[in-house]
Formats: sequence, structure tokens, C-alpha cells
Amino acid sequence: MYHLIQEASGWSPGANWDSLQAREARLAWGLVSPTALVVFGLIIFPAFFSGWISFHDVSLRNLSSIFSAPFVGLENYHEVVSDWAFKFHSWRSWGAAITSVVYSVVSTALTILVGLVAALLLNRKFKARGLVRATFLFPYVAPIVSVAFVWRWILDPQKSGVLNDILLRLGAIQDPQAYLSTRGLALILVIAFTAWRYFPFAMLMILARLQAIDGALYESASVDGATSWQKFRYITIPELRYVLGAVFMLRLIWTFNKFDDIFLLTGGGYGTNVLPILTYQFSFRSFDFGKGAATAMILLGILLVFLGLYVGFFVRRGEAA
Amino acid sequence: MSKSNSSEEKLSFIGHLGRWINWPRFLLAAGLTFFLTSILFPFYWMISSSFKSYAEIGSVRPVYFPPTFRLDAYQELFNPNNPQFWNFGRNLLNSLRVALPTAIIAVILSLLGAYAIARLRFRGKEVFLNGVLLIYLFPAVLLMIPLFAMLSQIGNVIGFSIQDNLWILILTYLAQTLPVAIYMLTNYFKSIPSEIEQAGLIDGCSRLGVIWRITIPLSIPALVSVAIYTFMIAWNEFLYALVFLNSSEAFTVPLKINMIFNDPTPRPHVVMAASTITTIPVIILFLSLQKFLEEGLTAGSVKG
Repeated sequence: MYHLIQEASGWSPGANWDSLQAREARLAWGLVSPTALVVFGLIIFPAFFSGWISFHDVSLRNLSSIFSAPFVGLENYHEVVSDWAFKFHSWRSWGAAITSVVYSVVSTALTILVGLVAALLLNRKFKARGLVRATFLFPYVAPIVSVAFVWRWILDPQKSGVLNDILLRLGAIQDPQAYLSTRGLALILVIAFTAWRYFPFAMLMILARLQAIDGALYESASVDGATSWQKFRYITIPELRYVLGAVFMLRLIWTFNKFDDIFLLTGGGYGTNVLPILTYQFSFRSFDFGKGAATAMILLGILLVFLGLYVGFFVRRGEAA
Repeated sequence: MSKSNSSEEKLSFIGHLGRWINWPRFLLAAGLTFFLTSILFPFYWMISSSFKSYAEIGSVRPVYFPPTFRLDAYQELFNPNNPQFWNFGRNLLNSLRVALPTAIIAVILSLLGAYAIARLRFRGKEVFLNGVLLIYLFPAVLLMIPLFAMLSQIGNVIGFSIQDNLWILILTYLAQTLPVAIYMLTNYFKSIPSEIEQAGLIDGCSRLGVIWRITIPLSIPALVSVAIYTFMIAWNEFLYALVFLNSSEAFTVPLKINMIFNDPTPRPHVVMAASTITTIPVIILFLSLQKFLEEGLTAGSVKG
């Protein structure tokens, strides 16, 4: 790789300091350095620092002299893993790690499914399509605080909540329900909310790919007498496979990292406590930064497993093809 | 002949519908209805509720169509003489004071960085670009603890407060948005032919002169969409604001809405009014620049 760059640029260590290439490279680093500095100082260094904190006992008390914090080895990890909030207890209480995985996998799958349906709808021609398409993006663009609180209010436990009112009128329920504070249901609703909010992202990516499919494929399939379902199954889905996989992975990772959505909807209560919220609670509710950092490192570990699975999957597919 | 014609003319609306409709059309209509209702109802509910009175909000049944537009909620937010005054104007100003500098600095830094990546040869370019892209996947919660600890160390030494300091927020939002911004702009610069710039260089312009006189004017749409993207991220951000802001004086809009929501006496109409005010500018910005932004969304994948 290094040789290639050298040859391509004609740059070599012995080259004149004032040569055109050298000047160009210096200018380039000058232009890139502010970004590099911000990214290194605020992301890469803190990421390693987080690892350091997770092996130390850091609280508000010694935060101002953090480098003298006592080294505790794996104690934080041990406590976090054996903590009730982390462990699988019963089918009613899963622990944050499992809740996190279930929440992110299921809601990502649902997001992609809804996004696929929306993209297929928008791929047809009808009046005011541009307007409808713009409207479909609203949930994704609007501030999370606004949309989370609107939904909380629609799901309000009082009789005046919209969902309660509708279900009461239909006779589906006898008494108003507290949807977001019912174990199980709360998780399902949070998953549905995630799909509602993030499907437009999947939709845009899928739509872009759909519009790039060669129409001749469908035409020749029609000539051969294929049904709509067969065309969908044997042309559309294979053409979309790569984009579906990529969007699934991106959304899975982002959803796994997500804090705001669940925090604003349920505060992490009623069986919806996920790792990001647990990290926040350890660090800024009980001010045990060591445990918080350990939780975040576990989150990162699971994230790397996801990435590994994904890379493995795609590399194998790529080799087979 | 004439008979059948007249009977055709008499076909009712239902009859026409019956002839026009087929399975694909029915599915399309049903699907669109489902999507549009579930998307638009929450927004309708937010806006309409913001114009309700406290009595309407607290009534036994939800009021689907408020009979009059009441500005009670907006009075609470903005009118200092209101007994329940929230001083929301101050929070709007805070949000602007965070989001505008973030957008401006992000445009400048990403312009320089993306130009270097798209046009210049230098060692470590690939590493830099890939490293920057990996940040996409980085969990914000992982960074919140070390950032808090680090910045309070630095703050102790240099002597500034990290609590309620809006510049800290601007810095963290920059770190979050710069990678995507650079990615978007690099793709854009690669689509502009470099011959024009080379002509400028031959005419004796310096590189920076070329950026200023040729590249910037050619990339206004891309720069604007980077500005809007970073503005929107900073305007909507919740987690870092929650960690770094303590007093309601310094709160950005999302935190203030959270505070109003958690008030011991629930005031949903005020929450909805504040949400409406926060949402409308974002939606308008988005709609006016939809085309540019969508290219960014699909090319650069906005992190959200």
C-alpha cells in the first residue's frame, strides 16, 4: 500500500523538502489538522480514556484529581455484570444487555420492513408524489424531544389520552391503560416508536436503489409470464440485497447506541432499560463513573461482535459470488 | 347505443370508483392512507394541542378540534407577566447560540478538510478518511464519561466551568458532525471537474485563493446543506446537553421542553407549544432544501 502511494505521488522520503509534492502534502495536513485535532481530542483520545476509567474507581469525589483514582482491576466489570440491572432474572426482567440486543435487533428489522414498504409505495407513480415523499421524512427530521413527547401524550394513561379514548369508544378496553408503564407492552411500544421515527432513512436508501434497477429486467420477466410476486421475489429483492444488508447494519449499530428515544419515552423503566441508559444512570445518577465506563465498554464490545458478524457475513457472500 | 351511453353518464361516484380501482391501486391508496395518518396525526396533535386552554387539555375526553385558537400556552412560554412564565425565549436564544456557531465552524473546517482529501495528495489520507468514517459508528454514551472527566480536568487547570458552558457543547457537536460533513463535501468536490481549478492555479492563484475564488462559489449548495445538517443536529441534540447543562438559564430548547414536561403539575399544552416552536423551523429548513439534504442523507448517511 505504502509503495503504491509513493509511486503514485512520486513522493519519497529523500525528495526535496520544497518540491511541489511536499508542499502540497504540507498544505493538505494544514487543511486537515483542525478536524484531525477536534476528532482526536474529543473522540479518539476519550475513547481510550474511557477504557482507563473503567478499570478505576472514579466518583464525583476524585473527579478533579482523576489520575490518582485507585486502580480496581476488573471490579467495575464484575459489579456491573453481577448487578441485577444487567442480569437475566426471569422472562419479566431480562437485564440491560439482553434488552438492548432484543430492542435493537427487533426495531431495526421492523424499521427496514416499514422502510421497504414505504419505498415500494413511493416507487409507483401517483399525483403529489413529491409532497408525500417529503411528508414521509417528517418523523426523521423533527426534533426527538418533540416527537417523543407527542407520542407520550397520545399514549397518556388518563382517559383523555388519544389511544385510550379511541380504544374505550371501540369497547376494546374497559378502563384506561398506562401503556408505557406496562412491562412488555412498553418495550413493544418503544420498538414501534423507533420504527416510526427511523423508517424514512431506510426508505430513502432503498428508494435510491429501487430507482436504479434496470427496467428491462421487469419487461423481460413480463414477457416470460412472471407474476408481480415473482418479479418482486426474483428481481427486486436480489437487487436490494446489498442495500438492505448495509442499512440493517448501520441502523442496528445506531439503534444499539441510542439513548434519547427510550430515555424520553420511558426513562428506561418498565423493562426498557438498555445499556446506554444504564451507562447514564451509573455515571450521572449514582455518580459512579467507573461502573458507567465499564458498562459503556461492554456496549462497545457487543457492538464489535455485531460488526464482526456483519463483516464475516458479507465477506463470505462476496467470496461465494 | 344512446341508451347505454346515458346509463354510463348516470354512473354514480361509487360506480366510477369501482371501475377505476384494481388491486394495485387499492393497495397503494390503503398504504398511503396508513402512512400519512400515522405520520401526520402526531404533528396535527402537537400543533392543535398547543392552541388549547388548560381546561381543554384537562377535560375528560380529548378535544380533537379546538373550537378557538387560544394562545394560553404561548403566553406561558413567552409573556413575563404570566404567573407561569417559562422564559422560553432565553432557551431559544441558547439553542441558536449553540447551533449557529456549530454550523458555521463545521462548514469552514469541513470545507478545508474535504478539499484536501478530494484534491491533494498526501500520506495518511486513506487512514484519515477511514478513521473519520468509523466515528459514525461510535456510541455517544461511551464518550460522555471521559469527555466529562477530561473537560473538568482541563477546566480546573485553565479555570473555566464545564457546567453550563455552551462552547463545550459546540465542541462536542463539532466532533460529532465533522466526519459526516467532510464525507458529504468530499463526494461533492470529487464531482466538480478539477480543470477549472487547475486553470486558476496556472493563472497564478494560490491554493487558498483557488478555494476562495473557485471552489466555494461552485459548491454553495453543498456548503448550505452541510450547514443545515449540522445546524439540525445541534438544534435537536439531547444527551450531551443533559450531561453538560445544569441550570435552566443555560438550557437549550430540548432540555427546557424536558423540564416543562416533568413539571409536577402536567402542562401538556405548554409542552406541545414549545415542541411546535422547535419543530417548525427544522421542518421549514428541511423542506426548503430537501433536494440537497436528501443527497447528503443517502450519500453521507446522516447519523440519527
